[in-house]
Amino acid sequence: MFRRLAISVALVFGVVGASARTRPHYGGTLHVEVAGDAWERPAGVARRLVYDGLTQLDTNGALRPALAITWEQDNNFHRWQFRVRSGVRFHDGTALTSGTVVSSLTASCNAKCPWDAVKAVGPLVIFTNDSPMPNLPALLASDQFLIALTATADGRASAGAIGTGPFQVTGFNNGVLALAANENCWSGRPFADAVEIRPRRAVRDQWLDLSLGRADVVEVPAEQVRQAQQARLSVISSPPVMLLALQVGDSGTLANVNVRAAIAAAIDRGALYNVIFQKQGDVTASLLPQRISGYSFLFPTERDLNKAHELRGGLAASLLTMSADGDGAIQLAAQRIALNLHEAGFNVQMAPVGAQRSDLALRKFLVPGNDPAATLEGISWEAGEFVPVTEQASFDLYKREQSILNDHRIIPLLDLPLGYAIAAKVRDLHLRGDGSADLAGASLEDAR
Amino acid sequence: MRLVGAVTLAVCWMAVRAACDGQPAPIATRWAQPASELAGQVADILGPGQAQLTLRNVSKIQASEIPSIRKLLEQDLKSRGVLAGGTESANAIRVTLSENSRERLWVAEVAEGNTTRVTMVHLEPGEAAAIRSTSERVVLRKEKIAGLVSRAGVQGVPVLAAAEINGHFVVMFADRISVFSSAGGNWTESNSFAMSPKLSRDPRGVLLPTADGGLFTAYAPGTQCTGSYSLPLNGATQDSGWTVRCRASDDPWPIYQSADASNAPALKAFYNTARDFFTGVLTPSIGTDLPPFYAAGMIPRAAGGAAVLLAGVDGKVQIVENSVMRAVAGTRDWGSDFAVVRSGCGAGTQVIASSSGEAVSDSLRAFAIPALEALPESNALAMDGTVTAMWTAQDGKSALAVVLNGLGEYEVDRVSASCN
Repeated sequence: MFRRLAISVALVFGVVGASARTRPHYGGTLHVEVAGDAWERPAGVARRLVYDGLTQLDTNGALRPALAITWEQDNNFHRWQFRVRSGVRFHDGTALTSGTVVSSLTASCNAKCPWDAVKAVGPLVIFTNDSPMPNLPALLASDQFLIALTATADGRASAGAIGTGPFQVTGFNNGVLALAANENCWSGRPFADAVEIRPRRAVRDQWLDLSLGRADVVEVPAEQVRQAQQARLSVISSPPVMLLALQVGDSGTLANVNVRAAIAAAIDRGALYNVIFQKQGDVTASLLPQRISGYSFLFPTERDLNKAHELRGGLAASLLTMSADGDGAIQLAAQRIALNLHEAGFNVQMAPVGAQRSDLALRKFLVPGNDPAATLEGISWEAGEFVPVTEQASFDLYKREQSILNDHRIIPLLDLPLGYAIAAKVRDLHLRGDGSADLAGASLEDAR
Repeated sequence: MRLVGAVTLAVCWMAVRAACDGQPAPIATRWAQPASELAGQVADILGPGQAQLTLRNVSKIQASEIPSIRKLLEQDLKSRGVLAGGTESANAIRVTLSENSRERLWVAEVAEGNTTRVTMVHLEPGEAAAIRSTSERVVLRKEKIAGLVSRAGVQGVPVLAAAEINGHFVVMFADRISVFSSAGGNWTESNSFAMSPKLSRDPRGVLLPTADGGLFTAYAPGTQCTGSYSLPLNGATQDSGWTVRCRASDDPWPIYQSADASNAPALKAFYNTARDFFTGVLTPSIGTDLPPFYAAGMIPRAAGGAAVLLAGVDGKVQIVENSVMRAVAGTRDWGSDFAVVRSGCGAGTQVIASSSGEAVSDSLRAFAIPALEALPESNALAMDGTVTAMWTAQDGKSALAVVLNGLGEYEVDRVSASCN
């Protein structure tokens, strides 16, 4: 009885002591630190601040209009038309038109675009393709297709990073990228007056700066979430939106699908999850995470070394090279996988950093949103093989994913979250459907 | 005594009815259809015989419901000739109750020897749990105004304000003013007029009807619109009588609506369109300098006259009375929005204020402010999301609140205060 009363009292005080939800304040400078490059794909923090896409994912992962206000398909998804939002201007004052959108999209993928042709007709941007493009609106929300000014109104190549986003670049001094609020942003002026981004900062230094009040938003890699919580940092993390997967080549020894299957069977995902990534995220053998598909558990994740030996069938162990997309934990994971493969009779050597080609590549793929068909198509696009996915029913999607995975060109390993630690004065920092932080929607408590 | 007993019985019966209303359908009814469908698919794969059935739940279905679902599956399998149970059987049925962002998914893995085949059925996502609240001196009740929803998707823009005028609901969205007509208890958008206010991250607006219901004025950042209604000519629909004209404007906005609709609003305040707050400059002046604020309202005082209540940008709630501004205690957990309602209960007038703390959803609570302290007069009324705007309704007795719910939709709720 006393215990119940004590709990009730604690709950009441918990409610009474809570701070109120007041409207956000304008002003102030957000100081952000990241370990990588501010402009790198797919998650460079500056990209989403400076540029917008034709479409975007909201915090619930739903597709929303951005620089396009409406879109419609015809000819059974072979043709799409997007109506460009009127009255939008780039940071240098150039008007956004269907022409500037087409130039940007063409520059973003050069000759290897997921469409055959894109053209501007009045306020419309029209895409056509021989194959159906059922998920083009979702694909255009991806980081690759953000709209940048490629040429000024008088035809000269644009200088610097010029977009339509909530912040514009004002300089890069002493290793800090300075951005200022775009007062005339089509989606509304951001709350903060400025954002300062310090790139290439070691995570430990970021956390130190946060504790000393020199940073407001810093990164928390998946494998360090527990440490951050123990250090009493205020951590926000996304659902598992980053798929860590091994992309396998198909030349030489790897042309044999059984050899690729042997590699898949040899990897110990449990060790990666338990040891390297400190039990953050989910072990997976499927491309779509459980939250999107609901059937991820149908793909077995257990290591089967006997099966790996059996599938390899005593083939001579030629040397395989492996590259890793990232540093720190990703490099450690790559070394662990190399060890796993060695136990299955493969001879794997790490490729030097920056190598253009390797037989095996440990890569990160964003799996944002909540549309399974669009996500599956997005992964295939990022993997370099654009495959239209028209299936909608869960069972059909399962069969489709199964057929892609049976080829063993992509071996899913882990679904990882993205995390950030924030200062107490930062309010309303939400994560988008792709796990990136929506800094334009955040405000500072002490700003007046 | 007998009468007391009868009343008690009636109250108990009503309480039971009330408890049952709004509850989900019984388990057997709710899961019967998917269980039958899945059992049918499994039976088609397996054919008559014995199989070992295992069931696991990775969805949000309550653990207490699992035995009933298992029973339904066993019954449906049995009716199709598949006996679940035999532990020595080589056949196995592994059912997983799963879900994804779109739907519930029940998956069956059917193993016959070394071969495993998969089948699945999908169900609509689950219903939200009913929210109940108890009351003190004043009871707050919310009623969702059916149809007044800015749905997620292409048209999903914020609702800034709404008012019931001339049998229609006029709703100001961030990009348009729409007229909603009632059809069978549901409001549907029948007419819409484009509006181009200055866009902002925290858009706000005011919609003010005239007493006779023939006119309204709408204020949005940098824009002012006037709407009028005249009876349509012969043959035209009732909805075609509306006209709305907008112009660029930085005129001050009315900061409260008089509880008596026949009175014109007494105070206007200048609005900072770049920062989404009122600057603190009023017209006419009330004799003291005000700080920037988010919301203001007029509350009657026991000694006669009225005082202005302000929710400041600095998070402080203050009251201005006789040209003197003082802090109001007991408002630490208030949000930035409030509405003054004339319930007739207790002190007669209450202030309904939003609050949330770090909770996912906001709540509303009624307060009386007899002096310099806000005293709670109702329990907290849980809302279905974040309250993004709130104002006094035209009847003066209720408030209208815009709520951004968990589905990303803006809905309009009427919140009424009644005596307990």
